Amino acid sequence: MALIVFRGGFRTNHLLLRRTFLFSARRDSSLLCTIQQHHQRSRYNVRAESLQATESKTSSKSIQMATKELVEKKTRGYEAIIGIETHVQLSTITKAFCSCPYTYGSQPNTTICPICMGLPGTLPVLNSKVVEFAVRLGLALNCELSVASKFDRKQYFYPDLPKGYQISQFDIPIARKGYVDVDLPVEFGGGHRRFGITRVHMEEDAGKLLHSESESYSQVDLNRAGVPLLEIVSEPDMRSGIEAAEYAAELQRLVRYLGVSNGNMQEGSLRCDVNVSVRPIGQLEFGTKVEIKNMNSFSAMNRAIDYEISRQIQLHNKGQVDQIVQETRLWDEGTQKTFTMRKKEGLADYRYFPEPDLPEVVLTKDFIDQIRQSLPELPEEKRRRYENLGLSMQDVLFLANDSSVADFFDATLENGADVKLAANWIMGDIAAYMKNEKLSINELKLTPQELSELIASIKNGTISGKIGKEILTELISKGGTVKQLIEEKDLVQIVDPAAIEALVDKVIAANPKQLQQYRAGKTKLQGFFAGQVMKESKGKANPVLLNKILAEKLNCPS
Amino acid sequence: MVSYAGVGSLLPRLGWMRMRRPPNPNPRSRWPTRTTTTTTRRRSRSFSSSSPLRAALDSPDVSLLADAARISLSPNEVREFEPKIMQVIDWFGQLQAVDLESIEPSLRANTEVDARTREDAPEAFDNREAIIAAVPSYEDPYIKVPRVLNKE
Ligand SMILES: [Zn+2]
Repeated sequence: MALIVFRGGFRTNHLLLRRTFLFSARRDSSLLCTIQQHHQRSRYNVRAESLQATESKTSSKSIQMATKELVEKKTRGYEAIIGIETHVQLSTITKAFCSCPYTYGSQPNTTICPICMGLPGTLPVLNSKVVEFAVRLGLALNCELSVASKFDRKQYFYPDLPKGYQISQFDIPIARKGYVDVDLPVEFGGGHRRFGITRVHMEEDAGKLLHSESESYSQVDLNRAGVPLLEIVSEPDMRSGIEAAEYAAELQRLVRYLGVSNGNMQEGSLRCDVNVSVRPIGQLEFGTKVEIKNMNSFSAMNRAIDYEISRQIQLHNKGQVDQIVQETRLWDEGTQKTFTMRKKEGLADYRYFPEPDLPEVVLTKDFIDQIRQSLPELPEEKRRRYENLGLSMQDVLFLANDSSVADFFDATLENGADVKLAANWIMGDIAAYMKNEKLSINELKLTPQELSELIASIKNGTISGKIGKEILTELISKGGTVKQLIEEKDLVQIVDPAAIEALVDKVIAANPKQLQQYRAGKTKLQGFFAGQVMKESKGKANPVLLNKILAEKLNCPS
Repeated sequence: MVSYAGVGSLLPRLGWMRMRRPPNPNPRSRWPTRTTTTTTRRRSRSFSSSSPLRAALDSPDVSLLADAARISLSPNEVREFEPKIMQVIDWFGQLQAVDLESIEPSLRANTEVDARTREDAPEAFDNREAIIAAVPSYEDPYIKVPRVLNKE
């Protein structure tokens, strides 16, 4: 029931608050189903990227440090000013102004109708989810919400825009004046930053245009035309590639935490246009800004921006500032350079005017309050909470990066697991398995309850750490419970000194030659014996006891 | 200053009248400020009737307009259209004289637009064939257009 109030809780134009309590029970459940399905879908898309991010964070640490120093050296005497416009494609089921369903990768020109094709005589009708998602994101970005906002037409001619205009919001966006907090990755020097958000507005996406290399025509797919977007405009607060990339990564985390978008950069669900200018430190006015597009990962963003900054500084140093012109440059992954796509001649004139076919969007206090109350714990709050649990920043950033990983971690703690041990298991063996099998944490058969059970079983000595690892693999891939596995496979750790002594005796008796060598001074062989005993115990011998008894036996001939 | 006040939105086709305005309308307003109004609402009140009628409306640059509308006009046609368009502007310009002193400002005109929004429930359009058939140049599955590479 809460859901319905929440969906119907804003009104448009001057009508009274529309609260739709009229749904039949059947309709309610189908609504819930679609929402759950939807979450599932976005979850699937989440995993690859977040794992990649952590991988690059840990693997090429020294290279990144070196790059950082190099960048600092190169930028001496100059300051880069970076602002970002981000388009987030909303994970609604239908488009912004018509009921066409949208699914990424559908057969071209199949999810179209007269409204999104811009045919004469059609009228747009706003999808209520778009407003809900905009408010969710606006609140999460600490914005002031416009109690009343409106849509405008932004006119330009391009074949991917069937109507000849884009429905957008111009002078009164739904949210503005917010900020976002980020923690820079440890390997890039770390640090906490707050970046300003100028505005968030609702608009529709255009179709896709394919240019063939040789032919004299272009191809248009209008499936994406009319899909809802939120455009997030930042203040020019970033100063380096890594700050910009981390800002974008935080937006991705936010939209995923909030469930408003899958934030997938490869599919174009999260697109960043970055404005970069450079000025000598101390100069008040901004330098000429250059726009960079076509970066489809955070790491590409980081590199593209740092490249662009050094390109502009070089021109400054060579006395060729006049060669920095207002233009759009594309990032080329192959050459690791930006190149000119088009020069901007004067400011584009979009001849905005209010969209006459759509009423203004009025938000009621009730609606806003309900959304505020429904917000999940956001990444920044989560990071601070984890930090207070005593975790290292590296651990904090990993765990809070993906909300499903964070939820899993939290659930493990709720079952009584030790904080650091739970973090280690998740970031170690579990993350490795997810990466290898390309699975998200929710797709694993392992439950948080069993992970905490496993941690407890090792801690209280029931099983050894080594056996724990084996059980974990089993739990992840096949499921089951720790207790059941320990019993089934007879894996309980051997802690009885007499039993271990018997094993040691057996191994020593079976290896007289090695014993002789050991006693002749080749003490390294203790490792060999320990290995043999462990093998004999099927990995179940308590290693501390084993080594203690073994050393006694080897050193004191009976 | 024509902006997004109610009357302005009745004149969608005159959007180009604002073409040389700064992107953000001047929040300066001669309306009395009520403490209850939001910033949003205050910003929208930029319809000024205090300025002299003619001075409030720029005369159109017809060549620029034609270019923006992707219409080619000969210099003769430009000369021919200019006074006609000015006439239309003057006609609408009479609205500048309306006394709005006692009118509650609004974001947009209270038009006959249906104020309802829609639930996010999919409904596929069932006559896609007809839409596709109406596309002037179609090569399954794409719509074919002349080669374009640049927006400007
Ligand atoms: Zn449609």
